[in-house]
Amino acid sequence: MSPNSAGKAEKLGYTNVKVYHEGLPEWSKNSYSILVPQFLKEAFIDKEIPTVLLDVRPAKEAGKGFIKGAVSLPAADVEKALAKFPAKELKPPVIIYSDKSGDDAVKTAKALVKAGYKNTKIVTGGYSAWLEAKFPVETGNLNTVIAYAPKPRPGEISFADFTRIAKTAAPDVLILDVRNQDEGSSGMIKGAKLVPDEELLARLAELPKDKLIIAHCATGIRAEMAYHKLKEKGYNVKFLNAKVEIDKEGNFKLEKS
Amino acid sequence: MLHHRMSATALAAALTLGLLIAPAAQAPAQEKASAPAAPQAKPTNMKLCINCHQPQPGNLRGLFDSVAVKSQSLQIKIDDATEIVKFNPQTLTVLEGGKPADVEALRTTKRGHEVRVEYTEKDGLKTAVLISTKPLIKVAIEKLMTTAEVEKLVAMGPEKGKYTLVDARPAPRFQEGSIPTAINIPDPAFDKMAGKLPKDKSALLVFYCGGMT
Repeated sequence: MSPNSAGKAEKLGYTNVKVYHEGLPEWSKNSYSILVPQFLKEAFIDKEIPTVLLDVRPAKEAGKGFIKGAVSLPAADVEKALAKFPAKELKPPVIIYSDKSGDDAVKTAKALVKAGYKNTKIVTGGYSAWLEAKFPVETGNLNTVIAYAPKPRPGEISFADFTRIAKTAAPDVLILDVRNQDEGSSGMIKGAKLVPDEELLARLAELPKDKLIIAHCATGIRAEMAYHKLKEKGYNVKFLNAKVEIDKEGNFKLEKS
Repeated sequence: MLHHRMSATALAAALTLGLLIAPAAQAPAQEKASAPAAPQAKPTNMKLCINCHQPQPGNLRGLFDSVAVKSQSLQIKIDDATEIVKFNPQTLTVLEGGKPADVEALRTTKRGHEVRVEYTEKDGLKTAVLISTKPLIKVAIEKLMTTAEVEKLVAMGPEKGKYTLVDARPAPRFQEGSIPTAINIPDPAFDKMAGKLPKDKSALLVFYCGGMT
């Protein structure tokens, strides 16, 4: 996109046109990015996108009014708090706001980028700009514990629910193993039915419409595809987004994929 | 992360170009079993692609989700819809940035990468014959700016640094987060929005987007 635009600018007669080709992904490795209050609200809060939203003003100040979902982390305490942050491998969007000057937000953002959080943003204009936009605020006690859980993919079943269901062999649930025949022959979960993902659509008649179907495979990938296929055909279905290891006896081990 | 909201400007641009199609039916968020869903017209182009590409028969444009080599299927995300396409590893053409690649290369294709899939359809089943990841556009080396150079400019600010930094991505992406001091001129809307550029034609303009696209 950017090289295209640069070409168009040159056609208009601009003589000093450059392209930062590595663009935002590379920028975010070393620096924070910014967003305005309206898009904090519309692109994240209204859509319930999981984020780490930090209010870095002094706790007393923050208590008088803050943005929904914010965690109080006064700028001075950032280094101490790093140990309790969600793992950087989860790549949580970290969104920071302070007062109008933004100095505390910048300081905090820099510390977080340095610590490896490569999706760190500052809200332009901070809490004052949020107020000016007349967006809703909350008062009282702010959360001080940072909790972050990535949004599950549509149709995902939790490990806990899957394990419980697999162990109780509920009559209204079918565990559907969508691996290949040879993978299934080295061990299957008790009570599971094996229909390889590639045969699924041809063998729909074998699947019950009155039960919850939970698809699994070895990695979660084929299970998710099976989920989408069955969902489209009107089945009540979920899938296990996990690496699954099953031994000869049907004991299984789940691991995040 | 995906955001499908079109900004007023992108919308205006799309309308001007006559490219806006009716919002595609989205899969209902139902979890319980119900009457078999009536066949829905699924979108073949994700909304972001419609800025530049009109839907073509036999083509899908969306974001790569996953590949299952064992069951020979690709999963492509087109806005809120998910499309699963079979393929034959012996005959599938894989193009990575325009260069032929092996089917195995799909295993390392990143989730969320923009792709185009050519397919044939029989009995409602789509079979991919080609998958192409977005090609790189070459930029002359003297026109390239490094991260360090951009950081230096941004630290000075547009007035002192005498620059205009332009984010060429679609508005919804810009809104999720941009480089400080940047203005947004989405590439497809360039002609309409060129008035945002400085009057002085010798002024430094720096364009960026979401990486090597």
